[in-house]
Amino acid sequence: MTTAWRQALVKLDSRLQSRMSDKLKERWNHPAGLKTIHFWAPAFKWSLVVAGVSDYLRPPEKLSLNQSSSLMATGLIWSRYSMVITPKNWLLFSVNICLGLTGAVQVARILRYQQSIKETEKK
Amino acid sequence: MSRHARKLFEHVKSKEFRQYLMRYHFWGPVANWGIPIAAMADMKKNPDIISPRMTAALCVYSALFMRFAWMVQPRNHLLFACHITNETCQLIQLGRYFSYSGVTKEGAA
Repeated sequence: MTTAWRQALVKLDSRLQSRMSDKLKERWNHPAGLKTIHFWAPAFKWSLVVAGVSDYLRPPEKLSLNQSSSLMATGLIWSRYSMVITPKNWLLFSVNICLGLTGAVQVARILRYQQSIKETEKK
Repeated sequence: MSRHARKLFEHVKSKEFRQYLMRYHFWGPVANWGIPIAAMADMKKNPDIISPRMTAALCVYSALFMRFAWMVQPRNHLLFACHITNETCQLIQLGRYFSYSGVTKEGAA
């Protein structure tokens, strides 16, 4: 069952490659290219940034401080490490900086809301 | 029993383990553990703080990274374990969100 799928995909791939220039073929078959998880997994990290930005529209009482702060922390830690590894990975750096900033904005919104709740309770 | 405990203790004290702690492919996955731990803490809270877009994005993200952690050289079991846990936690949160809000409610909050 799966071998039939696999054969069909291999056939499709070779048909696509017959139409490619050598330079394009090199990119297509790259070990971290479009066909591999090494490309798509880090690329998909951008969806977390998009989801985070779309959450700016959510009211702050409906946000999770735990989740936002964990995303902020992971974004900032990975930003540092993407600069420490060889080779430096600017794509990883950019996505993680954006994730860290988005998380930080959400954390600020939640804390500001919690502060305002405390102040109204004091009154 | 104490022989095993002593062996474990000596492994932790060894230079190889300390060097492992200093490598980037240890601390990066440790940072990623924050996400499932945050989700586990949120499971006890009111389900209206669950963001469906972020939770769904994290489900797909962890599925992809499970594969990534397996295929990367060297294979990263810590990252793999982290993303399996996260996948489970995010799916649970997503289930809580849908049972709380009702699937018939239009759009995401």
